[in-house]
Amino acid sequence: MTAASERLPTGAGRSTDPRRGTFWLLTLPSAVALGLFLILPILFMVALSFRADLSGQLLAPFAPTVKQYAKVLDTGSYWNLLGISTVMAFGVALVATAAAYPLAYFLAFRAGKRAGLYLILLLVPFWTSYLLRVMAWRLMLDSSGVVNSILIALGLTRDPLDLLYNRGAVVVTLIYVWIPFAMLPILAAMGRIDVRLHDAAADLYASPWQQLLRITLPLSLPGIIAAFFMVFIPTVGEYVTPLLVGGTGGSMYGNIVQAFFVQAANWPLGAALSVIMLATTLLLVVIGLRIVQPRRLLGQ
Amino acid sequence: MHPRRSLTTTQAAFVLFIAAVVAACGGSGASLSPTAGATEPGATQAPPTATPTEVPPDKVTGSLTVLEWPGYETKDFWPDFGTKYKNVNVSFQFGSTDAEIYGHMKASPEQYDLFHQYTGWLQFDVDEGLAMEIDTSKLKNWDKVPDAFKKIGQVNGKQYFIPWDWGFTSILYRTDKIPNVDSWGILFDPQYKGHLSMWDDGPGAVTVSAYVHGYDETNITADQLTAIQAEWTAQAKLNKTYWTAPSDLESLVNKGDVWAGYSWQGSYAVTKGAGTPVAYANPKEGRNSWVGLYGISSKTQNYDLALRFIDEKLALLTGQNLVNLYYYGSANQDVMNGLNDPAQADTFGGAETQALLKDTFSIGDPNILQHTNFTPNLTADQRDAWTAMWTEVKAAQ
Repeated sequence: MTAASERLPTGAGRSTDPRRGTFWLLTLPSAVALGLFLILPILFMVALSFRADLSGQLLAPFAPTVKQYAKVLDTGSYWNLLGISTVMAFGVALVATAAAYPLAYFLAFRAGKRAGLYLILLLVPFWTSYLLRVMAWRLMLDSSGVVNSILIALGLTRDPLDLLYNRGAVVVTLIYVWIPFAMLPILAAMGRIDVRLHDAAADLYASPWQQLLRITLPLSLPGIIAAFFMVFIPTVGEYVTPLLVGGTGGSMYGNIVQAFFVQAANWPLGAALSVIMLATTLLLVVIGLRIVQPRRLLGQ
Repeated sequence: MHPRRSLTTTQAAFVLFIAAVVAACGGSGASLSPTAGATEPGATQAPPTATPTEVPPDKVTGSLTVLEWPGYETKDFWPDFGTKYKNVNVSFQFGSTDAEIYGHMKASPEQYDLFHQYTGWLQFDVDEGLAMEIDTSKLKNWDKVPDAFKKIGQVNGKQYFIPWDWGFTSILYRTDKIPNVDSWGILFDPQYKGHLSMWDDGPGAVTVSAYVHGYDETNITADQLTAIQAEWTAQAKLNKTYWTAPSDLESLVNKGDVWAGYSWQGSYAVTKGAGTPVAYANPKEGRNSWVGLYGISSKTQNYDLALRFIDEKLALLTGQNLVNLYYYGSANQDVMNGLNDPAQADTFGGAETQALLKDTFSIGDPNILQHTNFTPNLTADQRDAWTAMWTEVKAAQ
């Protein structure tokens, strides 16, 4: 939005506005990249999902068929797994966001001059490979791992507990992996809060909890919502962590997509499963945003 | 925001979207034409006779790109070629499963000169025109390969692939937990609930069920597949976990979490070498055996050089390294005969290791191959149906 004094009259002088050229200069590279590396691959995937099989040239014309979608619709266990994966992703996003909030709060309002240092320390795990971080949890949860060793040493259990190779292990590992990610948008939102609002609230005898609930939480809501969806959306299609720590009963929807691409070379069926996951996730996000209504919560 | 700018942005986004759709449909050829996809005209025949060059190997130049499994790119697995052809640059691209190797070749065969595929997938490569017929008269080491292995590399009566590595699949089990295993059925025994481990592979699961029930592996009916799915859905509750890499299984067996697992012979050698009390079963239904082979890409521009690479892959030192480092069998029979020769003990790391390797490959059992089931080539329908079955087994947990 521009200030009234800066608005140009309709049709007057627009062609000489230097900002127009700058707008295209700044926007076009990103738009092209987005088109090439996001939109185009998704369109390829959608097209692939209408192939009967992978025989023949990949880029040759083909007779489209809904055979793959019929197969998916006909297989109840795929939908069951999609539902389970969605619930798991919801749980992971909820807990990761809730766990990240106090971290972001501390960095934004309590860390003072050391905020930068603490932020770097919190982000150090990112400097290691994602696989190493997941493998670390295998060492933690294994039958002879850290957790079982402590429990046995404390006499809380005689035999090792089955902490690894189940859905619980997948959820715990994913929460751990996502907390630093979730913290960042919340921190960014809190960074925009004017601290004088807290001072004003304190002057009006608001307790710290009241300041949190009446000022900080509402104003950081965009960050919370962004963090939640930033974790939820990719977690629905997660497959690496279930593969490493999920065992027999810990598969997620992403694992069956991966199986059709990597083990079966049945790309069309894998593509159909991916399109369904994409559509389902988008639908859930739209429904979620309608329910939450961030603008209404912010009083806009 | 200026209202006309908003409209212009929308127009720009719409134009971009249309451009993307046009690019996807037009340039990609994914137009919804009623014509079915055409198979590439067979570029599978060997090129016109390439007269062997007289240039000494160390003066030969050029480059090769090999589509390979991770780990085989190290010079340990091509020392003969690397030493002889010092001025040839060999680069590697990777695939971690047969499906990935096949997928890479489908997507861009022109990027590779050679690719490494395993039994079960060879027919697809030939049917899709990805592999070139190989002129074995130019392979100096071809006579070291047993006829049975040579035949495995033939598809439609022609030699499209050269065997290189091979191995067994059977049950690896801890002898301190299970006294004896004589059947693949151990994987379904509820007595060992929570201490079993199966390979995460649909065709592997179908193969096991075929052995247990006496099904014809090359002709599994729909009813049989339904029964197999039910069987493995129930088996999942007995499983500790599905393993994807042999090191996963080896770690679980060494720790005692898994007492019996579907396994390749390399895992037996590793766990036994670690001092774990293990045995490698000879099930009454027979072991399974698989072979890894090299094919030459139908789009290669370096056919002659690719032939030389394959020839040197069959050479002695390369084969010995395969046995010593990975505990995989070599298609070079001289290498395998060396396991029986006490004079070659040092080649295999000493008498004890030689004995372990001899045991691993059942060299002492002259009848082992008679009761071994070799992996047949799958059809595309079988591949799709068996993998779909397996994903439904996992999705049902």
